[in-house]
Amino acid sequence: MNSGENKLTLNLALIREQFPDLLPSALSREGGITAYRLQLPTFQEGRGFKWAELRLPAEFPGCAKAFIQLSSDAVLRLPHVDDNGALCMDGDPGPGSGHSAEERVLFLLNAYLEQFLKPWLNGSLDEAFETEALNYWAIEVARARSQYDPVTAVWTVDPPPKKAMIRSGMLLTPNRIIVAADEALRITNRVVQSLGAEQRTAVLIADVPISYVLTPSTWPKSMGDLERILKGRLLPADYSQFQVHRSRRGREIHRVVLLRNAEIAFAYLLPGGPPTVRDIGKGKGKRKKSFPSPSKVLPLITSRLDPNWTAGRDQHPEVDRRQAKHVLVLGAGALGSPIVDHLAKAGVGRISLVDADTMSPANVGRHLLGAESIGESKARAVAKRVNLAFPSTEVVPYFKNTAAWLKENSLADVHAVLDLTGEPDVRAQIENARQKHPCPLLVGWMEPYVAAAHACSLPSEQSWLQGSIDPLYSLQAVVWPDEVIQQEPGCSSRFQSYTAAAAEHAVALVAECALEMIDAEPFPPRVRSWVRGQLYLDKHWPGLKHNEWANIASGFEGLSLMRPFP
Amino acid sequence: MSQTKSAELVIHAERTRPVRLKKSFESYAGLLDGLASDSRSMQLEYSHWEKALNAVNEHIAVRDEEIEAAKGAYQEVAELLASNLSWPPEAISILPQGSVSTKTLIRSPNGREKFDIDAVCQVDISRIEASEPMAFFESIGKALVDLNAEAKRRCWNIPFPQRSFYLEFTPSVPLNTVPRNTYESMAPRYRAVRYEGTALAVVDTPTTSWKTSNPAGMSKWVDDTAKRALILVPAMEALAKNRVLDSIAPVPDQTVEITDTLRVAIRLFKRHRDMCVKRGLIERGTKPISVIIVTLLTTCYEGLADLGRVFQHPVEVLNELALYMPHLVLKLDGKYRVDNPTVEGENFAEKWNDDGEERFRSFMTWCDALSADLKTILALTEPQAISKRVREVFGIPAPAGGSGVLPTIETPKPKATPVTTGLA
Repeated sequence: MNSGENKLTLNLALIREQFPDLLPSALSREGGITAYRLQLPTFQEGRGFKWAELRLPAEFPGCAKAFIQLSSDAVLRLPHVDDNGALCMDGDPGPGSGHSAEERVLFLLNAYLEQFLKPWLNGSLDEAFETEALNYWAIEVARARSQYDPVTAVWTVDPPPKKAMIRSGMLLTPNRIIVAADEALRITNRVVQSLGAEQRTAVLIADVPISYVLTPSTWPKSMGDLERILKGRLLPADYSQFQVHRSRRGREIHRVVLLRNAEIAFAYLLPGGPPTVRDIGKGKGKRKKSFPSPSKVLPLITSRLDPNWTAGRDQHPEVDRRQAKHVLVLGAGALGSPIVDHLAKAGVGRISLVDADTMSPANVGRHLLGAESIGESKARAVAKRVNLAFPSTEVVPYFKNTAAWLKENSLADVHAVLDLTGEPDVRAQIENARQKHPCPLLVGWMEPYVAAAHACSLPSEQSWLQGSIDPLYSLQAVVWPDEVIQQEPGCSSRFQSYTAAAAEHAVALVAECALEMIDAEPFPPRVRSWVRGQLYLDKHWPGLKHNEWANIASGFEGLSLMRPFP
Repeated sequence: MSQTKSAELVIHAERTRPVRLKKSFESYAGLLDGLASDSRSMQLEYSHWEKALNAVNEHIAVRDEEIEAAKGAYQEVAELLASNLSWPPEAISILPQGSVSTKTLIRSPNGREKFDIDAVCQVDISRIEASEPMAFFESIGKALVDLNAEAKRRCWNIPFPQRSFYLEFTPSVPLNTVPRNTYESMAPRYRAVRYEGTALAVVDTPTTSWKTSNPAGMSKWVDDTAKRALILVPAMEALAKNRVLDSIAPVPDQTVEITDTLRVAIRLFKRHRDMCVKRGLIERGTKPISVIIVTLLTTCYEGLADLGRVFQHPVEVLNELALYMPHLVLKLDGKYRVDNPTVEGENFAEKWNDDGEERFRSFMTWCDALSADLKTILALTEPQAISKRVREVFGIPAPAGGSGVLPTIETPKPKATPVTTGLA
């Protein structure tokens, strides 16, 4: 498309009829952008900015939207202005809207007036910085940033302290990320592992809780501003300690000031500190030292890696309680492996995973793990993968069967057991162990073809075996002929056939049920089931019928049901 | 020559930290030396600062309507009490206390944050049944249960979810209705003080005992003190003179001019404290409480007046008050003291003595920041720079207005959704 044609076709007179402040002479801007100045009103003291322009990209109107650009003096002084001065708002409805180019420009100018200029002039945007504080902080950080900065970001892994304090953290290289905690917190090591850091260097951190979100007008801009905060907030002894930026061995040490509340953190690297050695270019030998500025503070972007954010997005207060839980998962197969993944995503603190099997090619199609783990212990490979992905969870693998695990361990410190093996022996062994150390139990299994799946949750005092009878088969939804194997024998090459997609229903059912059990006690003994309809049964084996209780699912694609445990 | 208590405190402040104060004064005098020699031009120089500080004062003022709305809420509470308690209505009276009664209420720098309205509910205890402090406190709380009142240390907090304020409601009885031996235990060396007639006993729930208080006395004291003039008025300058005369007149509402120097100081300093919390210099939970700021500033102002000190301009007084303030907190027998001058036995700094000095440090941090900030303001001479810096320091947005001249664009109607065969 020829951009010159676009400019000619825009009927400026039509726009100026409604908005005479649009000056008619077209100006050329970088990247083929055409700009028109907007005449500004007389500003009250402190509200002004140098200029505003309507900007039409070269691809406007066909493939691009028009926007408003303000002079750089508006950045971080006026809200809704991004780092290069463009105004962030819904204005031009875009090429797909069915409006003419002139109409789209009028929409944009209307938004500029009503959503931005008028509210800014009458003061109603004055508190807008607070609602998106981190976006503006990102602009502040970007402005101060250079490729030689010894630190690129600060990651926090715990909630802010109640009172301001000095703590140690570590600078990880080559990532140049500071983790604002030391090894005393277990999550720190897991985050370091996730980052795959080669080297860690001690860092001194002033961790200062703040009552209000900081904005461009209140965040510290100089060492002097930070000094005032440190002097005011740290205990005198801590303040003196923080003045000395040398380690006990006399080496220079980085100092970081972290100002944060439960949601948002602002960080600064203080002047001084040791150089950071960076690799430049490929191959050996090419290294360069970066020194922190001798006088300026460096604003840093922060990320929260604490479980409340990564697992719960601050919406799930139960994450705190889950962090303190230890869950024993028996079986790391098609059901167990994705369940461990779900528990970790939900913020369960500790998982012991027991499985004596190794990964085989036939598992690849319906397991959390893939071909890269073939031949490895399923328990170990799942633990490795989940530990790397979710620092808020610690998975401890046991490459052995349940009987062997129970010889060396007990359920004394276990808050919940999930038996996902589908093996009668395991159910009997766990029943024994629960008699010594009562503990909530979930038995989860899938029927052949995942025609049904069940999660039976039992409180500590409720036993699974009814006398000497294992109730599992009586709880099933489908009457299975003998030709259909119900249990995959370890020594056989026969397998049930089902897709991972069909198994996802079972995974979701068991995962939800497990979390409910982990979160809430007391709960009544009950069975949750996912039962596929007759159509699904007919597709997989001729003449299959539901057990009577499950007949209700017959006419559906599938149905979730809840029953009391008999 | 015997001095008043406030004068003694001012002299004590000058003696305890002579070096620091002297240095501050010298640097301030140095600032002034560079400005103007005759008093007329001096007034002119001051006027830039005055204008900027006055803009702050105006911004932080709470509108009269809002105060009136809050007063309506007292009435609501009073009626609820009268109907829920079987006490004779004339035995209950509700009075404003705290910043509403001293006319030093300010707006929070955190937009949606509510302001607190303090009220004291005074009950003639000789006419009611509950005479034990806790029984008395609880009976008031029970009567307020429909308003979701929540018990605090000495008051009931009423949230008023739909309004811009919440009410802190303190049950009290006139001090002279409390048996003599009880108030001797509250204030062992009980002496007559000024404003004694309005003294009260309130319930201190942690200790389940009566404690002295005197909200009406406090506001009378602030009022009486604020009327005293500290400004030397050159006889020739009629304009300035009128301003000072204005300051002597009673202040009917919350809009005070900078010539009402004591109240302006209280309001500006409270705002500065709030900004220090916002900037993270001090913590919200341990910030200096308003009544301490009111007491120290009023004491200082009164002391300076008692000593016959005179100043050229309100701005000079503001600076002086900021410099004295940190030195007016007493430490007697190892305990911090900011005594209520209108009643024996009420130490506003009580909490400073069992928090590992956190509140004291917070107070000192704030005082240091305040004098440092005032110093940077007074070091400027160019009017725009003064205004900009004052706004920054006190967290005041640029003046608003002027959007009325802008046009309104009529946008085209959205196009009707074209007919398609696909899913909606």
